[in-house]
Amino acid sequence: MISERKPAKICRYGMAVDIDKCTGCGACMIACAVENNVPPGNPDATDLTGITWLRVFKVDNGEEYPRKESVYFPMMCQQCGVETPCYLVCPQQAVDVDPATGIVFQMPERCLGCRYCMAACPYHSRYFNWWDPKWPAGMEKTLNPDVAPRMRGVVEKCNYCHGRWHAARQRAAEAGETEISPGDYVPACVEACPAGAIQFGDLNDPTSAPAIAAKDPESFRLLVKLGTDPKVYYHSKREWARRIGDPSQAPSPKEPSRG
Amino acid sequence: MRNTRRNVLKFIGGAAAGAVLTPVPWRLITDTALLSENWPGVPRPLRGEVSARYTNCSVCNAGCAVRARCVGGQPVSLAGVKGHPLSRGGLCAVGVAAHQLPYCAGRLTQGPVEAAAGVIARAAANCNAATAGTPGAVCNPTESIAVLDLRPGRTASWTYRRAMGAVRNGLYLTAAGPFSGAAVDLSKTHTVLSLGAPVLDGWGTPGNVLATRANFRLIQAEAIESRTASLADLWLRIQPGSASALAMGIAAALKKGSVADGAAATGLTERQITDLAADLTQHGPALVLPGYDCPGAWALNQLTGGWGEAVVARREAPVPEQWKNCAPVTGLESVPDGSIRTLIIDESAPGDYVPWGAIRRKLVADNPVVIAFAWSPDGYRRHALLTVPTAVYPETLEDIPAAIDSPAPVFRLAAPLIAAPAGVVNPPEFVAKAVGIDATNALRERADAIRKAGRGVLITYADGRTRPVAQVTPEDFWKALNEGACWMDTESRRTAPPAMDLPVLDAQPFEHTRMSFAVLAETATAAAAPVSPLMTKLDRESNLRLGRSRAALHPETARSCGTADGRRAMLETALGKCPIEVVVDASVPPGVVQVAASPEVIDICGASARARVAPL
Repeated sequence: MISERKPAKICRYGMAVDIDKCTGCGACMIACAVENNVPPGNPDATDLTGITWLRVFKVDNGEEYPRKESVYFPMMCQQCGVETPCYLVCPQQAVDVDPATGIVFQMPERCLGCRYCMAACPYHSRYFNWWDPKWPAGMEKTLNPDVAPRMRGVVEKCNYCHGRWHAARQRAAEAGETEISPGDYVPACVEACPAGAIQFGDLNDPTSAPAIAAKDPESFRLLVKLGTDPKVYYHSKREWARRIGDPSQAPSPKEPSRG
Repeated sequence: MRNTRRNVLKFIGGAAAGAVLTPVPWRLITDTALLSENWPGVPRPLRGEVSARYTNCSVCNAGCAVRARCVGGQPVSLAGVKGHPLSRGGLCAVGVAAHQLPYCAGRLTQGPVEAAAGVIARAAANCNAATAGTPGAVCNPTESIAVLDLRPGRTASWTYRRAMGAVRNGLYLTAAGPFSGAAVDLSKTHTVLSLGAPVLDGWGTPGNVLATRANFRLIQAEAIESRTASLADLWLRIQPGSASALAMGIAAALKKGSVADGAAATGLTERQITDLAADLTQHGPALVLPGYDCPGAWALNQLTGGWGEAVVARREAPVPEQWKNCAPVTGLESVPDGSIRTLIIDESAPGDYVPWGAIRRKLVADNPVVIAFAWSPDGYRRHALLTVPTAVYPETLEDIPAAIDSPAPVFRLAAPLIAAPAGVVNPPEFVAKAVGIDATNALRERADAIRKAGRGVLITYADGRTRPVAQVTPEDFWKALNEGACWMDTESRRTAPPAMDLPVLDAQPFEHTRMSFAVLAETATAAAAPVSPLMTKLDRESNLRLGRSRAALHPETARSCGTADGRRAMLETALGKCPIEVVVDASVPPGVVQVAASPEVIDICGASARARVAPL
């Protein structure tokens, strides 16, 4: 069951990702790590044990050259709106869904590190702190004061840069407003994307990019069949790329590729 | 139930057993473990007043406009400046985390500063004495002192030229190819043929390339499925090291000659090459962009009709008249072998890394002196006699040369966001002072010269205003440049760069044996330059990019070498060897080793080196 607090205005923040525009440069991944105080990888970290709240994957259509086509696919927490799997399995109530924004939160102070949520997440968008967070000497000065670094032994994930949401709320309050203006709250990945491939907005606002994407026939969401109402809409003009949303139809590579 | 002692004990025992099934004891265990495991604890971010400051990124020549979010004066995040006419709000992955560069492992802050000053001063004096025929001169009159500038086109470059002009045998060297002094205009281009250039992966100004991407059709000719190849409108998979042969084949097709040699070398059909040539002429203006291994292919633009349209000459931003009495720009290749006695290399600002072998043969055989100005232990520090520590972005005050996709001259400063540590030097000022020239105010003098010329506009980032520079006072102009602004020259009449000869290239057909593979270096964004420690997110923690000391091989190639994914191996070429970690990647063609272009790798690999991979 979702939290019972009654907010003044209900938002459903979501994203629209145009994978035809994404060049896989990784600026979104780095901006995310900078904004959310994710430490540099431990020397023993791998792609299975590293922490990347947002990860860009390279996906191809499974064909050989010259019919081979590839896209880059940014993957973050899909902020499930219904039957949120991680929320349902957490024994510590360390996961909550904010009714005011629809954002799924992870509270590291409550997390005991059982990783049930990681097993439950169908999108593999949760990451476990296998090591103490460490920055090179002096680099602690560059940490974002709006986000607390997490300790070893807890799970963390994308929360749509909630520190920015708080800052936007504060600015709105200082200006005597009760609501955040749409352009004032933008996650770091959206701001950093040089291709403009990631857009952010309130799905309840029909003029927002995600709301428009939600009605686009060339848009798709991941694993919709699970019924979790993910709030990230991907867009591609390529029919094979749209099949990524359904693993039973998605192309699979014959041999492992990097990325 | 009676309150007997037995029942009380049963209740206590049952409660204890039941408590084990609740989260409480596990929580206590975890909390205790965390407290013990996290000493000295998680770092606490600094607090302070939040402010926004503006500057320009100097990690590469793109010089993207940057808005820095500062807390207590310390930058904590960087973002692009929306509305900038060239960078268009874009910032690459390296630039987004560039405020962390000063904290890279091994950052140099101490070095033989005084010894280096003495060596440079003595070398200059010796050169002057030797060329003047002074008896007892310690060096040969034909030997010289030289500065190798890895990022030409800066005000610092002019300072080096002035300093070397003050020494009789002084040389100012660059490794820039035949295309220096020209630019490309993507907004006027309809077809782009890239011969391995990372067009969509950090080439030029990333924001500008992506903003104009819809205007042009991109054809990528490359052996591996690079990021650009996978996103191009057409990817032509050519044989490794055959980009030059393709350029020659296209030239032959445009001149109605035979393309058989080009087809044999590249692995393409003759029809594909003739169609490509026709594409370039029919869907123009077309632009041919060479990769790092075929710089001579710029000349192909003269045949396709893009010369003067897509490829234009770019004038330099005004400089003070008194500076022009200085050493000329000399290409490193044109210097006689064994002629440089003292070489100064400035790698404080990342530029094109020149393989050490190409530099070494220009030095005298007996006891040459190499002085490197560097902030990172990578690069030429490994070869230098003396390494002098320098500041790094965002500690430095320096200007950034115009990007290759900027047809108009620009002048912008990377203004310091934090103070440089004690003990580091400003390389051009240091060299100038050692030879007796005062260059402490060079940037201001250059800015005054630009302001005095009265051309162009000043774009200020904080307010987004664009003003004619003639309406700005010299003081305001300088102040604006230091607070985040860009001077951009007005569009002049387009002219073509000076004509170039299409070089005759000797293309060898690709052939690999069981233990000899072609090495292809991934030359994407600032690949050879040190980057933020956070870049582990892109390589080790996600495999999105190939990290340093890693090499990607096709599964068949890995098997034939007796190695596997994640194993350590040794990459050996005729020039040397370096340890690598093997990454198995089916998208790499068989017989090819794909590596990230780090200084170590560039030193041992040529443009199309042959190598073997031996398991460790």
